[in-house]
Amino acid sequence: MPSNSSIQFAPEQFDRLFQELYRIYKADMFLSRSEFPGGGDCYIGLEPCHQLIVTDKTTKEQIESFCFNDTDPTFGYLSYNYGYRLRGVLSNKITEFPYGHLKKYSAVIKYDGKSLELSVFDETFDIDLDKIISLTEAKTPFEIGHIKPAESINSSLDRDEYILRTESAIDYIREGYIYQLNLTIKYECDFQASDLFPLYASFWKTFPASHYVLFESEPYQIISTSPESFLSVIDGKVLSQPIKGTLAYDTYDESLAVKLKESPKESAELSMIVDMVRNDISINCEHGSVKVSDHKTTFTVDNLIQMYSKVQGKLRRDKTVIDLMLDSFPGASITGCPKKKAMELIDELEPHFRDVYCGSFFVINDKRNMESSIAIRTGYLDKDKGRLAFFAGSGIVVESKAESEYLETTAKAGKFLDILKSEQKP
Amino acid sequence: MSILIIDNNDSFTYNLRHLLQTAQSSEPDVISYDSIDKVDFQRYDTIVISPGPGKPSEYPNYSKLFKSGKPIIGVCLGMQIMAEFYGGEVSLLEDCFHGRTESIEFDGKSFEVARYHSLAITRVPSCFTVISSNQATVPMAMTHNEFPYIGYQFHPESFLTKNGQFFIDYAFKFINSIRA
Repeated sequence: MPSNSSIQFAPEQFDRLFQELYRIYKADMFLSRSEFPGGGDCYIGLEPCHQLIVTDKTTKEQIESFCFNDTDPTFGYLSYNYGYRLRGVLSNKITEFPYGHLKKYSAVIKYDGKSLELSVFDETFDIDLDKIISLTEAKTPFEIGHIKPAESINSSLDRDEYILRTESAIDYIREGYIYQLNLTIKYECDFQASDLFPLYASFWKTFPASHYVLFESEPYQIISTSPESFLSVIDGKVLSQPIKGTLAYDTYDESLAVKLKESPKESAELSMIVDMVRNDISINCEHGSVKVSDHKTTFTVDNLIQMYSKVQGKLRRDKTVIDLMLDSFPGASITGCPKKKAMELIDELEPHFRDVYCGSFFVINDKRNMESSIAIRTGYLDKDKGRLAFFAGSGIVVESKAESEYLETTAKAGKFLDILKSEQKP
Repeated sequence: MSILIIDNNDSFTYNLRHLLQTAQSSEPDVISYDSIDKVDFQRYDTIVISPGPGKPSEYPNYSKLFKSGKPIIGVCLGMQIMAEFYGGEVSLLEDCFHGRTESIEFDGKSFEVARYHSLAITRVPSCFTVISSNQATVPMAMTHNEFPYIGYQFHPESFLTKNGQFFIDYAFKFINSIRA
């Protein structure tokens, strides 16, 4: 898709623009705050013109052909469930949720939050910069809208049940089946509003992060507010930034970050995942190119201190970003280690299916360029049923205390739980 | 030198493959344990048994490999599989050790190595010699007294192991010394 034109755009102007684009076109949004690790460009897709709805039967060839049969970018997601097929894991659970959804658009808008350059890519849609500017001149303030509290929120594992399952996971670890298992909870509630844009806009303002997605996948609308980058590929240079190690805080203090970095438990949790990510990208990276750097770096998001590392490599000339993504999927940080066994035990220990949660959202530009996230801090609205689902989880290792893991999990669900439990000011 | 890695459904196999490729400048083949019966071991110079989940008794199909006469390198579960096949015993560690490093003595020097295991060899078969153990006397490396078999309990392929290459080079030197 050729770039038709570009212009300088202030961040506040961009906030008004994406709101208008949502209001008028129900655009799919991939927003990012570049100051966060893994942060980069924002993308907005207008008027989908082609789509591929992924099922458990969809092949890699079908995905490749959809992405690469023309030069237009592909936006979309793969559900965690698609990983069952890829890793050869069996399950008795069933779901109506798509195993993934890929789209191409009539027009794409790209915004670089660092250079403040906004570009429009349009072949058939007839949107240009003049129209874009006019959309932001209405001087309508950035409206968050009203979010009604939920009457009750169900969780797939209550506290006692969560603790029992965490202890089972620790037993499996002691017996040598796994080193780490990511255990999650699914929360569900009735949701009065017809769409998630108010929730999305509110979180974007209050809890900014690197990978914010709002995506239509009928009859579902998905909200993903993830701080975690899965695989970023720029001209074949691969970067993954797995996050492990979490500390919730009320007031940030440098000594808390030091405490997190010095915890042997949190360090081990991250190190295992770094070794796994090295393994996963090594499958498609040039020999000798895979390196670890910035091990145990911290940043803050959602009132949590998080720890991450950088794993880099060079994509082999005979491989594409689809090879890389499918061989690494689902991301190491949300399965546990070793991956196949951890996924089998997750299926046994979690009563719910994860669906899109712990899958990945991505923007694929071509065979050697892609941005993708680990879809954590993620939920979806079933528009037919008026039900909202969202999820949270944490990595269980041998030193884990079930009670602390439960608190970590609820802290990660905190921004959803808080906004749904309290009456919002209009 | 052509190398085959038998992958016991592990998540560190390709780290091992890259490390072996550095040592031997050829790309090792990888096959899953599930297809072990289809492999012609005679096509390879050295076979590597990968780490993996569970205990050696859950991997009963290795006897064909041990009868092939081929040099073998076993890592973590791979070393435990060798030990059990030759009559040793593998049991639960009192404190499992995951994703952390420990300093061990090996070949007269001190090395920081990464350990990921809940099980360990508690009785070493008489045909093997332990060439390194940690302070708690858990076997960390062993070699067969007659055949070109070497096992590492720790993970040379982990980024936490300083100088993992040394252990791969050591393994091939050992294998060549037995064959010569």
